[in-house]
Amino acid sequence: MTIVFGLLGFVNFAHGGLFTVGAYAGWLAYTRFDSFVLGIVAAIVVTFVLGIVVERLLIRLYYDRPPEDQILVTFGLGIVLVESVRALFTGQTQLVATPSWAAGALQIADFIYPQYRIDVVGIVALTLLAVWLLIFKTRLGLIVRAGIDDALIVEMLGIDIGRAFMLVFALGAAVAGLAGFVDAPILALNPDVGTSVLVQSFVVIVIGGVGSFGGAIVGGLIAGEIVSLTSVFAPDWAQVALYLAMAVVLIVRPQGLLGVVGRA
Amino acid sequence: MILRPVGDRTGWWVEGAVALFLIAFPPLLALAGVGTDLGTRIVILGLFGLGVDLLFGYTGLLSFGQAAFYGTGGFVAANLLISHAVPNTLGALAVGTLVAAALGALVGSLALRQVGIYFAMLTLAFGQLFYFLENSPLRAFTGSENGLPGVPKPALGIGAWSIDCSSSIGTYAFVATLYFIGFFIARRIVRSPFGAILRAIRENPERATASGHLIARYKLVVFTVAAAYGGLAGGLLGVFQGYMPPEAFSIDQSGEIIVMTVIGGPGTLIGPLVGAAVWTFLRQALQNVDAIAGIWKLILGLVFVLLVTGFRNGLVGGFVAFARRLRPAR
Repeated sequence: MTIVFGLLGFVNFAHGGLFTVGAYAGWLAYTRFDSFVLGIVAAIVVTFVLGIVVERLLIRLYYDRPPEDQILVTFGLGIVLVESVRALFTGQTQLVATPSWAAGALQIADFIYPQYRIDVVGIVALTLLAVWLLIFKTRLGLIVRAGIDDALIVEMLGIDIGRAFMLVFALGAAVAGLAGFVDAPILALNPDVGTSVLVQSFVVIVIGGVGSFGGAIVGGLIAGEIVSLTSVFAPDWAQVALYLAMAVVLIVRPQGLLGVVGRA
Repeated sequence: MILRPVGDRTGWWVEGAVALFLIAFPPLLALAGVGTDLGTRIVILGLFGLGVDLLFGYTGLLSFGQAAFYGTGGFVAANLLISHAVPNTLGALAVGTLVAAALGALVGSLALRQVGIYFAMLTLAFGQLFYFLENSPLRAFTGSENGLPGVPKPALGIGAWSIDCSSSIGTYAFVATLYFIGFFIARRIVRSPFGAILRAIRENPERATASGHLIARYKLVVFTVAAAYGGLAGGLLGVFQGYMPPEAFSIDQSGEIIVMTVIGGPGTLIGPLVGAAVWTFLRQALQNVDAIAGIWKLILGLVFVLLVTGFRNGLVGGFVAFARRLRPAR
């Protein structure tokens, strides 16, 4: 799921909080209505709306300020979101049941996978496709990509760049929220779940390459492999190995495996 | 030619005021009905924040991995003291600080290859690397989740001459003295030509480069210095508590020290101490009110977001600006 994060390119420190919010919103709808699909819808809608509100009230003020300020405000926002969730739902860990249609396990050759993980891969692939289409095949995507390159010219062409950025921010929030909910049956649910995922997604981006679509996927796969392989041979070192790999990539190839120089 | 830095006319009164405040702090706390230990904790965090402030407030480098150095300095010093490898508290703190600084140089040489948000992401990831390193492979050295209990109280002594700092106020005096030295050095740094170049890097890195400064080297030096401050503060934490907690390495610790520094005022050396005091007092006060005890961090988070939005320079910066407006410039 970290792959989705990487794709957003503009990952910010509030995404951990949005991940958590999405997970709880989805879980609430899922347990209330006993429908996993409704859970997904709730996770997306809640975080999308939250994204719009936050962008209009706060983030909008920060486009002209130094990147450090943007980091600080999104970081603070992440704290506020996580702590709000904690205040509403207590800090207890909740187990989220896997939906019945995805219980069971699947045997592929000699490996046994839980059915649910396969389904998650499907959801991820769909989301990736949707985001990719949006960014590279639609008018909105075109405006956003142009806006990142040169906001002034885009505005001179009479396009409301502010609204485009707002939509992208909200979409990013919604993807984070979706990721949060879909991951909930795997990770179990507690307010801090977003933070750890956030850090891992950063690692994925660094390994794969900043702002690279394929890089994010490759980085995600490599990161996953490193963790599961080291878990087999030296469980103590699993997490450490992941970060060491990141350091090595950084030394040998600072722009990431599939990154392009000069697009940081 | 390197110009004399601005601000020379402020003279020594800032150092004097800080010294006076450090002396007056325990009685003031007693008046407020709070123990000295809270003050010690605040001063330790203020010392940690000095490094963050040099790094972020002056140079514009926002690091989310400072806990790595706080923890490293702490655990190195704690181990040396527990095993009596270095019986002298100051000696153990010095070794811890040096190890943290060396680690800072290593991490800095990697993380500083990126700027802006990617630098922040890298420091965060390195912070996690050391957190996990501390948590499992090095558990014999760090006690893993349990931390290291039994760190001896400060014992200063050269030969037969020794001072007892084991009382609450004694520990405070010890910590406050080291804070003052740290503050003094930090102020020398920011007012030196070196400090002027740090500010130039924050304001306009391209221009600093064009002026012929190797900004990569300056960044690495200030990153190392910040790590040293973190290491010293971490060592003091272990000595003060008699116990070295594993949370010193945590990502929350890295975040909190940034929040404190920003609340207090980045780019003002007193800021981190003020921020640490505000954070610690608010936390204490809010936790004592039943209705909002669970959401103290939420409230502090909101305060933080508002301050970042409205008062770019934190409480101290806001106060200084206010004072300047009252007294028009000459």
